[in-house]
Amino acid sequence: MFPILRTELTKLHRSLALLLILAAPTLVGLFLLLNGLRDGQQRPWEVWLGASSGIWAFFMLPMSVTALTALLAQTEHAPRAWDQLRALPIARWRIYAAKALVVLVVVAAMTALCLMLTLAAGALAGLIRPENAPTGPLGLATVAESLGRIYLASVLMIAIQFFLALRFASFVPGLVLGIAGTFFAVVATGAEEGVFLPWQMPVNILASEPWRAQTALGLGLGLGLLALLAAIAVLSHRDVP
Amino acid sequence: MSEFAIETRGLSRRFGRQLAVDALDLHVSRRAVYGFLGPNGAGKSTTIRMLLGLLRPSDGQALIQGLDVGRDRIGAARQVGALLEAHGFYGNLTGRENLDLARTLRGLDRHELDRVLDLTDLRSSADKRVSDYSLGMRQRLGLARALMGSPSVLILDEPTNGLDPDGIADMRRFLAELPDRTGATVFVSSHLLHEVEQIATHVGILHLGRLTVQGRLSDLLAGQPQDIELATSDDAQARTLALAAGYDVADDLRLRLAPHDDARRVAAEVNRALIEAGLDVHRLAPRPRTLEALYRQARLNLPEAA
Ligand SMILES: Nc1ncnc2c1ncn2[C@@H]1O[C@H](COP(=O)(O)OP(=O)(O)OP(=O)(O)O)[C@@H](O)[C@H]1O
Ligand SMILES: [Mg+2]
Repeated sequence: MFPILRTELTKLHRSLALLLILAAPTLVGLFLLLNGLRDGQQRPWEVWLGASSGIWAFFMLPMSVTALTALLAQTEHAPRAWDQLRALPIARWRIYAAKALVVLVVVAAMTALCLMLTLAAGALAGLIRPENAPTGPLGLATVAESLGRIYLASVLMIAIQFFLALRFASFVPGLVLGIAGTFFAVVATGAEEGVFLPWQMPVNILASEPWRAQTALGLGLGLGLLALLAAIAVLSHRDVP
Repeated sequence: MSEFAIETRGLSRRFGRQLAVDALDLHVSRRAVYGFLGPNGAGKSTTIRMLLGLLRPSDGQALIQGLDVGRDRIGAARQVGALLEAHGFYGNLTGRENLDLARTLRGLDRHELDRVLDLTDLRSSADKRVSDYSLGMRQRLGLARALMGSPSVLILDEPTNGLDPDGIADMRRFLAELPDRTGATVFVSSHLLHEVEQIATHVGILHLGRLTVQGRLSDLLAGQPQDIELATSDDAQARTLALAAGYDVADDLRLRLAPHDDARRVAAEVNRALIEAGLDVHRLAPRPRTLEALYRQARLNLPEAA
């Protein structure tokens, strides 16, 4: 399995996907920095980190997953590389499993990067304008845990976007569903039913009612892993015409 | 083990209502250079994709070195190096990086990279990004990738696509020498009859998904009747005389002989008749039938129902 994973990572060199991986968390950090310097107010770390997790779970994560799966899939669709890959003396499920693993690892890395850049933004704000320096305890463990849950709750959404992106040579179906999913997640945050919408599961981890957070985590991770396995099975068994 | 490097039995593939490949029985002997010919849309690429297990046959089976592609795709794929219509190179990576991906996935030695780059004359441009490659350079890179690991069967779908005349000549020499040098079998689809004629030991001709001709090229050409090229001081009258004498005359005044005609005897006869009629004979040349003639003839072998 390791050689395939290595080749998947090699394909990211000088790619647009790599740009996205860096850009999305950077945008969150940049927004927090500008927002932190906006007025004379001093905010506790808890607010900084809460805002960061919120923006990530609410909007940036679903959009990034949509864009990332599209870009990674287009890496193969655009040069019509499937024939070469699928003709190799390697079991086909491995090829798709490696791709799925790369998506999972990359999204985890982006989530971690978002946290790190938030810390950097807070520290930088304090350096630029000491009166804006974040206050209070950092509470890093709590934030890391909550981000971890957000990530796990996003697996179902990742599986769906992953399947659409690889199944169709055009990026349009995945993009349309990703935008629609994120849109409904944003406009219907209040709705209880939203917890059953894969694109809204990550942000439901931050909900105040415990049942919502638990449902989102259980469904997002449980169904997500099943969906990912199903996606790999379907993709490796069908002919690419 | 089977005596054939590639064999298909009743191999067929439908796309909707269209039968793109129709009950193909390919027989490609070991160490042959097999030219796989046919007009656009004949089904060459579809056949090749079935040989590689990329498309499931609607019917029939394909064997590579005796291994059934439907049952043991991976075993069969280990025997094959392929250059396909779609190269699938990653433009953001260099030629060397692209080759290295394939090398890693096939679990081959690092030295393979330089070996195939040298074979295809790509050393100097190996570190350029593939997005900056010309069409011909990509084609060479595709050949380089197919050659990695010295596979026993080389399957090439129109390898001369986009090559310049020198590139075509290089490719021709390279493919022709390969079986003797490495013991490999070469299966190459092409439209370039003249190129194939120079390198192929065997040919198969596909029309509308059916194999209309297959065999050793020398045998196929030997069984062909000859033509006589003719030019005179009065071609119109020459045509009238030839027709009157019962010959089959083409538009360019070429006389098409029957399979058992003796070309030398006919040439002498025609010459005498023309001179007696007072014409000057400028040219009178018996010509062996070429692969091109065989190719045109193959179209006629199609049953009317098709
Ligand atoms: N994926 C597909 N879906 C539907 N029809 C297809 C598909 N692939 C090929 N065909 C049809 O099958 C027929 C054979 O196509 P194929 O590509 O095998 O021809 P070919 O001999 O390789 O032609 P060329 O010399 O132009 O490359 C064509 O009529 C084509 O339209
Ligand atoms: Mg073709």
